[in-house]
Amino acid sequence: MHALDKKLLRDFRRLWGQSLAIALVLACGVMILLTAFGMYRALDDTLAAFYERNEFADVWAMTEKAPRPLLTEISALPGVQTAEARVQEYLMLDLPGRVKSATGLALSLPDTGALPTLNVPLLRAGRLPDPQASDEVMVNEPFAEANGFEIGDTFEALMSGQKRRLTITGTALSPEFVYAIGPGTLMPDDESFGILWMPQAMLASAFDMSGAFNSVTLSLSRGAQEDQVIEALDTLLEPYGGTGAHGRDEQASNAFIATEIKQLKNMATILPPVFFGISAFLVNMVIGRIIALERAEIGLLKALGYTDLHIAAHYVLLAGLTAVLGVVIGWVTGGLSARWMAGEYAQYFKFPYLIFNVSYDAYAISGFLALLTAAVGALRSAMGAAALPPAVAMSPPAPPRFKRSLFDRALAALRLSQPSMMIWRSLFRWPLRAAFSAIGLSLAVAIMISVGFFSYSMSSIADIAFNQSNREDIVLLFTKERSLSALEDIRTLPGVMEVEGELFTPVTLRNGPLEKQLSITTRGAGATLARSIDEAGRVVEVDGPGLLITTRVAEVLRLAPGDSVEVEFMSGRRETYSLTVAGVTEQFFGLGAFMTREAMSHLTRSVPQISVANVTLDPTEDDAFNRAIKDTPLISGAVRVTDMKASFDATVEENISIMNGLFSVVAILITVGLTYNSARIQLSERARELASLRILGFSNWEVSYILIGEIMLIAALAQPLGWLIGYGLGHLMAASFASDLYTIPMVLPPAAYATASVVVLGTALASVLLVRQRIDRLDLVSVMKTRE
Amino acid sequence: MPETVFHTEKLVKTYRTGGAEVHALSGVDLDLYASELTVLLGPSGSGKSTLLNILGGLDHATSGKVMFRDLDLTVQSDRALTRFRRDHVGFVFQFYNLVPSLTARENVQMVTDIAPNPMRAEEALERVGMSDRIDHFPAELSGGQQQRVAIARAIAKRPEVLLCDEPTGALDSSTGVQVLEAIREINEDLGTTAIVITHNAAIQAMAHRVVRFQDGNIASVATNDTRIAPSEIVW
Repeated sequence: MHALDKKLLRDFRRLWGQSLAIALVLACGVMILLTAFGMYRALDDTLAAFYERNEFADVWAMTEKAPRPLLTEISALPGVQTAEARVQEYLMLDLPGRVKSATGLALSLPDTGALPTLNVPLLRAGRLPDPQASDEVMVNEPFAEANGFEIGDTFEALMSGQKRRLTITGTALSPEFVYAIGPGTLMPDDESFGILWMPQAMLASAFDMSGAFNSVTLSLSRGAQEDQVIEALDTLLEPYGGTGAHGRDEQASNAFIATEIKQLKNMATILPPVFFGISAFLVNMVIGRIIALERAEIGLLKALGYTDLHIAAHYVLLAGLTAVLGVVIGWVTGGLSARWMAGEYAQYFKFPYLIFNVSYDAYAISGFLALLTAAVGALRSAMGAAALPPAVAMSPPAPPRFKRSLFDRALAALRLSQPSMMIWRSLFRWPLRAAFSAIGLSLAVAIMISVGFFSYSMSSIADIAFNQSNREDIVLLFTKERSLSALEDIRTLPGVMEVEGELFTPVTLRNGPLEKQLSITTRGAGATLARSIDEAGRVVEVDGPGLLITTRVAEVLRLAPGDSVEVEFMSGRRETYSLTVAGVTEQFFGLGAFMTREAMSHLTRSVPQISVANVTLDPTEDDAFNRAIKDTPLISGAVRVTDMKASFDATVEENISIMNGLFSVVAILITVGLTYNSARIQLSERARELASLRILGFSNWEVSYILIGEIMLIAALAQPLGWLIGYGLGHLMAASFASDLYTIPMVLPPAAYATASVVVLGTALASVLLVRQRIDRLDLVSVMKTRE
Repeated sequence: MPETVFHTEKLVKTYRTGGAEVHALSGVDLDLYASELTVLLGPSGSGKSTLLNILGGLDHATSGKVMFRDLDLTVQSDRALTRFRRDHVGFVFQFYNLVPSLTARENVQMVTDIAPNPMRAEEALERVGMSDRIDHFPAELSGGQQQRVAIARAIAKRPEVLLCDEPTGALDSSTGVQVLEAIREINEDLGTTAIVITHNAAIQAMAHRVVRFQDGNIASVATNDTRIAPSEIVW
């Protein structure tokens, strides 16, 4: 090994504290890139494989009831490769040993006894039901597992008012229900929502669908125009009560996963550059200082005949070793965390398998970026070192030029102590370095704020969704639309205190070329359970014929109160009206629009109807109520708002605390990296100065004040900038999370800012105090004797 | 007539510090011969070190000419000067300039790694009497020992010229003598041309020739008819 290489390794060992601090920041970038990228890949690959192997459909459509022969026409549409018809119904389930009801989505299986050709369920255990059987069912695996079902177990389902005992013949997983979300709920609950595959004959006879279908799925041929197929399909289905076809983008399960994948992609592209940028600055700062300290050695190397390239390479390699350390730490932690997270995802999303390919390119890219970062950081200083003429390098550097300025007069006027003066002067002597340190620290603050806001946003979402908008305990779903008198039947159920009805009507809203499919919610005037809340938290009531829309709808369709919007009804008489936007309301889940019952009834010239009943319950009669609804034929399902809130809170709490913890660690690492290195450099630059002060009779702490003061001053100055960047970054994150499925409001109380600042300032102080100990150990005599 | 190694003509070096111009060298004409041990004597600021830096290719002249044999150093690029230093020149500095993170052997290896025809690091160290401290770090060596390692480092490449800038400046008399002894041996045993800067007049007695500097110019050049061994020098 060459002597210069030995010097390199020994220098690296001597600088291990500083190198490690930089390496950890770099490792964060590498780790996040690997995790997000690895996750994104795993999710994307697994999804693609599952979709391809199990023939995930391209287009879905629902009708009220269409004759089977129509399928031939649908199959013949240009661009359609395969078309499959089925019967699809929501069923109220009565599960053994469970007081609360559950909901099942029943899907018919082909008469032939074979698997469907599209959205093919992957058999996990047992067998398909016998096509002739009238009591057999295959259920989705998560539902079976959550309820402890084995093959051969039975449960009861309410089918068209008749209770039927069904035997489980098998379990399966379907590409359609990777993220299985029940009607009216916000997140998957496998215990109370299941997918039931049943023989076509059995389901059709129960729901009067013999020779008919109410659900059709299509796969498209290569190069087909999805829009055109959807349009043609809608035209064919219109006479049979088609409610509008949609592609994969609006398929609930797929939309949720697509959102998740998009977020991972964002994470892989937004965050790592921040870490790499900070690392480059740190490397630059540390190598710059090492070079300043090693001027004489550089001169010597040149005198001995080492070339500029040798010398530049020597210092770039020193940074390179730090980068290698960072890359190794990042690769190990990133690889582990990607695998761990992939496992978590596999549980969250119901994949039959997880394709986790170690993406060597992600390792290569992250490693390359980290090395590049270090090289870029070191290059300027290293080139500077190489460019020093040897004779100049060997003479001591000129003392830094402090100049009198306006600023000095200002300082003088403040009558600061000499140590304070030293702090301020040094800040203004190296304004760029101070500015970069401040920016780095402000990014640490910003990262904490940009993630910290989630917990506040989620509380706000939960508060608006559950405490203010949806104040019912339970939502009962009717099998079909009912007249208002159905509410009287509900009122007679045990424990029911208040009942209000709502109607959901599928429509397409249009504003010029912009359009969205959603459901208009129709409520009675003065409804007190389900209400609309505006941005300021006030209840919004529509008076008259206007339409109330949610902020997301207003944004997407570019509508404001007073604008008119075209409303095409996708059911009933399928008429189109022009309505006025009466107001905008806050709702974070899905898309929504609201009307009063009177206005809707007047508009459609029909008797008021309802499709759900919102109910408040006497808690003491809970069990009696739950037992009763299982036998009520007009109900197809029940959504327990209180359960939903609890599971929302639990999910949010778990995810948010992991996120907050992770990003706090990240902010701490950045802060340590910056402040520890700054302090070490300060100390080395000022060792003589500080030792002189000690000799002049200043105490250890008075001298420490200079060191601590400057860094903490920079840290303090960084806070407002950090708040600002954090606010901006938070907005960016919230915007990138926004989709038709949910939006996240930006809620940032002062506590969010305070937490971030306390963590960063506390970490900064701890890092400086670590370095401060060295002041106690300063050997005054030798420091003064050392040649500059 | 001995062979000329260095030849300077009207050599001028001007530094600009702030607004003022400082003439470090103002027209120096000097010839230095092969295998000769020359002492450059003079007070601080008289231009000795500036001359040595220019001869060694560490610095550029402002005007005038410097020849190393047939090579005109004044017109060489930085790259060519680096080559020149690597192939022909050994330096010894007042403050030793050892790399603190390398042992004695490794400090010498820094040179043997890149020189075209070096001696073994161990051999170089043996020549300066440092064989028993070969794996010590600079911090574990006395000043005189460090300077001897520095000399070993300078001679390990078998340079044609050895340039020593105040080699005993930081040493007491007895350690200084050991260092001078090492320089004399190299000069005599290997025939290396040695140029020693000092402001210590006592040292001149060991030189073949003594060049006195005053205010950036040569005040006098004297040849010693009888030289004395370093061990007889006292200061």
